[in-house]
Amino acid sequence: MAARGASVQRPNGASQGKICQFKLVLLGESAVGKSSLVLRFVKGQFHEYQESTIGAAFLTQTVCLDDTTVKFEIWDTAGQERYHSLAPMYYRGAQAAIIVYDITNQDTFNRAKSWVKELQRQANPNIVIALSGNKADLANKRMVEYEEAQAYAEENGLLFMETSAKTAMNVNDIFLAIAKKLPKTDPGARGPQQGAGTVQVNESQGGQKSGCCGGK
Amino acid sequence: MQYQHLKVNFMGRDPSAAIDEWEDPAFEVYHTTDRYGFIHDSNLSKERDDAEKIAKELERTDKWKKMYKNWDKSFDGDHPSKGEKLRARVWKGIPDQWRGEIWKKLLHIEELKATHQDVYEKMLTRALTTSPDIRQIDLDVNRTYRNHIMFRERYGIKQKHLFHVLAAYSMYNTEVGYCQGMSQIAALLLMYMDEEEAFWCLSQLLTNKKHAMHGLFIPGFPKLMRFQSHFELVIKKFMPKIYKFMNANMIPPSLYAIKWFMQCFLDRTPFPLTLRLWDIYMLEGERILIPMAFTVFKVHKKKLLKMQMEQFVNFLQHELEKDFGLEDDAVVLELNAVVLDLRRARVELPPPPSDPLEEVPKTHFGSVTYPTEEELIKRQQSQIHINDEPTVSRTEYLTLLAVSLFTGNSGIGRGLVDTKLGMFPSVVD
Repeated sequence: MAARGASVQRPNGASQGKICQFKLVLLGESAVGKSSLVLRFVKGQFHEYQESTIGAAFLTQTVCLDDTTVKFEIWDTAGQERYHSLAPMYYRGAQAAIIVYDITNQDTFNRAKSWVKELQRQANPNIVIALSGNKADLANKRMVEYEEAQAYAEENGLLFMETSAKTAMNVNDIFLAIAKKLPKTDPGARGPQQGAGTVQVNESQGGQKSGCCGGK
Repeated sequence: MQYQHLKVNFMGRDPSAAIDEWEDPAFEVYHTTDRYGFIHDSNLSKERDDAEKIAKELERTDKWKKMYKNWDKSFDGDHPSKGEKLRARVWKGIPDQWRGEIWKKLLHIEELKATHQDVYEKMLTRALTTSPDIRQIDLDVNRTYRNHIMFRERYGIKQKHLFHVLAAYSMYNTEVGYCQGMSQIAALLLMYMDEEEAFWCLSQLLTNKKHAMHGLFIPGFPKLMRFQSHFELVIKKFMPKIYKFMNANMIPPSLYAIKWFMQCFLDRTPFPLTLRLWDIYMLEGERILIPMAFTVFKVHKKKLLKMQMEQFVNFLQHELEKDFGLEDDAVVLELNAVVLDLRRARVELPPPPSDPLEEVPKTHFGSVTYPTEEELIKRQQSQIHINDEPTVSRTEYLTLLAVSLFTGNSGIGRGLVDTKLGMFPSVVD
């Protein structure tokens, strides 16, 4: 892992603190807005005609929590059922997952539930899972009730937020909530796979880069 | 029927269909549309280069016209010397105005259409009532090349054709059905030909011997896996530094190579270069995929070795599409050299699949498949209510016919429903 640790980009002149690096995977039915959530979080943009993800995409973003800088390595996946066979390769060793559904489509919520089950069975046992009810801007077409999803999330110990990649509502918040929940002190305690453990780099430079917290 | 609204929308825009303002082409004034139909936010910077290229292309147009007229006489694949001339010209690039016609010639579309009359319409009719992939196809048509003038308008004519081609094909080749990744290929074809021709081109690309994309799109993606592993071996052998680097940074081929192999570099190189690669792909087939992937690494090796994982992936997935950093002609020359090198080393293509039947269609094209009991239960569980009947019921057919008549789309209603079409895979290669 030494190579990975060394490759952590240090925010220009961060204050004393540590950098933790986590692998996060996005899962969910096709066209629920997985790539749009990532695009909003990483680049602050929204594309009406976000192209479908073939295979997977990879991006990173850093958020700051008190004295800790959390760097997310984000793996964005294809939603069509056929690409399911590739998913384990992406969630293997992930310390966090966002499972996305579309609040205007009940089927996508059911699909989200089956992703939760799969992760509970197959993924890293300590994985932090967040459930995102996306397209919250389309509340007038709502088919999945907030309370229903919240109750489900509580039962299963998931973080839950309704989000909108279009309006940016709760997008940074859901990533921040995950960052807060992720353990930042026990390197090596998590999954043995790629991106395993928490990479800590002691910073020696001073002053935090503005805008590194929670995206732009 | 749950998906009725899709059909109505695609048979002509229903005034009540919900579209956003940006989807209405009448709403905005376009900034710049390039010669291929892509809409850009800013002025095109390489205008002068383009003018030179276009002049060169126009010069060659007459030659292509002659060649096209005497196609059968001059370019029979059985005469190697004549084939060489065609080959040389295709590698130089097909003039854009001839591209569609030549692609169709290379894939033998005329012959196929003649021997398979009415098949497209029958498949389309059946698809609109029974395809389990309709919903996914609609989702993807909605986000396929929306930055292209032809596909800009929601439920516009070319979007409708794209929807038709993919839906009909999902019925024709039921083992593939519809797989994400196919919509961009069909859209590319539709930029150069009509819907029925695009349907047959897609069919040829998936199932002829040269391209055999079938194995790239069926569940498990066996051909994709085979190409990816082979590419890793080729890199390991000929570019050990890059291989070590990717290994150390844990960059699997699935992060950069899926669209290279599945879609022959669509959206991964600038569009004009992608067209040049597709010209060559149409002629040469799958044998250029590994060499082109190798060419990307060869050309950018030094730069790539200095990158971190994120930059590396971003460079291959996005930056190269904006600017490949080399003139199209230079890339093609380099590709040609790599083809010869890899051919000499006998690694141009991966070894064939261990099971020769693994990547090829096993079901007759266009045959009606009855869902198994397991599939039916699964469908019920997932609450996706496609028709319970595996074949088109009379009521549904009449409903569809009525819808098509009301919307004035005679093309849909014309073909009578044939529940046992059972066509054999008849592929001209």
